[in-house]
Amino acid sequence: MDYPRYHKEIVSDLMNGKFILASDQKFVSLKDNAPFYEKFFKESFGNALEVKSDYAFLISYDTAEQLSRDICIFFAILCYELDKDGKNFLEEIQYAEFDHEKVDSYFENSAYAELIASNNQLKSSESRRDFMRTLARRNIVERNGDARFTFTQAYKVFVDFAGDFAKGKLSVSNEEEEALLH
Amino acid sequence: MIKAEPKTILNFLGTHFDTLKDLFDVQTSDNIIRKERLQEIMQERGDEISNQLVDYKIIRKLGDDYEFRDTYYKLFEFILNEFRPLLPETIQKYEQSISTLFKKIREGISKDKLILSQRINDLYNEIKEFNEAVEKNTIRLLNETRELKSNVEKLDYKEKVQKASFWIDYYITPLNNILDINHAESITNKLFDISNYVNVRRLNFDDELIRVQFEKTYTFLVQTNDDLLRQSMLLTNELLPLIERIRTESVILTGWIEFLKMPFKAPLPKVFKVERTYPYSNDMYMNAKEYLEQFAVDETIFVEDPLMTTDKWVFNKDLYKARLMAQLPLDSFFEWCGLTLRSDYEKIETDKFFALTALLFEEGINIELDNENDRQLINTSNMTLRVPKLKIARYGLS
Repeated sequence: MDYPRYHKEIVSDLMNGKFILASDQKFVSLKDNAPFYEKFFKESFGNALEVKSDYAFLISYDTAEQLSRDICIFFAILCYELDKDGKNFLEEIQYAEFDHEKVDSYFENSAYAELIASNNQLKSSESRRDFMRTLARRNIVERNGDARFTFTQAYKVFVDFAGDFAKGKLSVSNEEEEALLH
Repeated sequence: MIKAEPKTILNFLGTHFDTLKDLFDVQTSDNIIRKERLQEIMQERGDEISNQLVDYKIIRKLGDDYEFRDTYYKLFEFILNEFRPLLPETIQKYEQSISTLFKKIREGISKDKLILSQRINDLYNEIKEFNEAVEKNTIRLLNETRELKSNVEKLDYKEKVQKASFWIDYYITPLNNILDINHAESITNKLFDISNYVNVRRLNFDDELIRVQFEKTYTFLVQTNDDLLRQSMLLTNELLPLIERIRTESVILTGWIEFLKMPFKAPLPKVFKVERTYPYSNDMYMNAKEYLEQFAVDETIFVEDPLMTTDKWVFNKDLYKARLMAQLPLDSFFEWCGLTLRSDYEKIETDKFFALTALLFEEGINIELDNENDRQLINTSNMTLRVPKLKIARYGLS
């Protein structure tokens, strides 16, 4: 049986929790063979594959994944602080280059100090740098040298999550309103 | 007297927490728990505990109605992180009490030690209560303003501004004045004065017990001043620019703010979890079994040593020395080595050649270097050696 081009790399990247990005040559092969890979991961490991227009990743059935929680807390605080700083946080995350010092100043002056202090990945400048390296390994950020980084298209997973979370919340409050009206 | 063991009460709080939380919410919104509301909540929860609530002194009767006792109300505020906003006027009262106590301590510093000790203790407690009040208010104000920013209630902009102005005018600005270090009358400034005074006294007061008390107060004040500075920073950075901040609104930010309210209970995006094999993982049994099975072979296996393909050559020094001595004198020692090996084995193997050169160090021969002749080349099986021409003669005879 013939396997698609870069088959080994695709499987190994995805199984290592990496996002495969559109800028990666593997992505074309993965996207062209999306039905095959969806079936392949489902049958071999019982995992669902999500192929979007500009990134792809494997979905975990473990809903208590600590890394995912840490990433969400990181994005949530960063977006909140960027907005407080008068920036358009979405544009910043999409296009801007961040440096660690700026991120440190946001986290050190944040009102979410207790939450930050209780999170091992985010509590200090050093741990945040390690965390960025973890994100880089997963292709969620791209490191430009030691001090700077940009977010890859994978940020959308988390931003979409926040949107869905808000919609969930909003619809709860709608239901409550309706319940009150009746 | 409370009709129960302390542990029974704590267990009771745990068992009936949901009902108690409902009652706490009612008191927070209505300032009282009406008799009818109490009955409704008991029925809704199917949890008839009114008698124990009174017996355990968690709530008290107020006419026909009820209210939480302060201790329990504060406990619930604390564990739920939901605080009643205190009007800054209420916080301001600490300025009065702290100033008075400080004045009395200074005036009575050389008078009765017992009273002085009591005053220092009271000052400590007042500052602690003040600090807690400020902290509770900041937490409450942060929650209120985040609510406004997240706008789950979908207020229109005008309503949001009205609400924000209310919080700013009645709570945030006055609280900021209390904390503002640049404001001469602020409590923070007063605390700095006290801390300077206490710092000197903790070092030079003659009574040791009082000195220890000053020391404790000083450490606490340093910490409190840091806390207050932080609270003040939050007010100026986050709460005062509220009107400006609520101008922008985004569903995504709403999502994040709501998520951050309960990051440990919220659902998460299902990013792939990399599997690692831990000793306690579910797969460990099968993995270990597979690993061990490879050693569980029943039949006996004989491993044979590979046959030696060539015999190892051993240099017989005595034999070669005898042959060398028989042929002396020689014009070139290395040439002789080469010829000897070629005649014995048809080729010159490098290691055999080097073994033969060891004969040079034997006794009974005289070595002379022929400087005039250039070096000569000897080709061994895998290299070409450039060697000097050494003349060898029998020692003492040639």
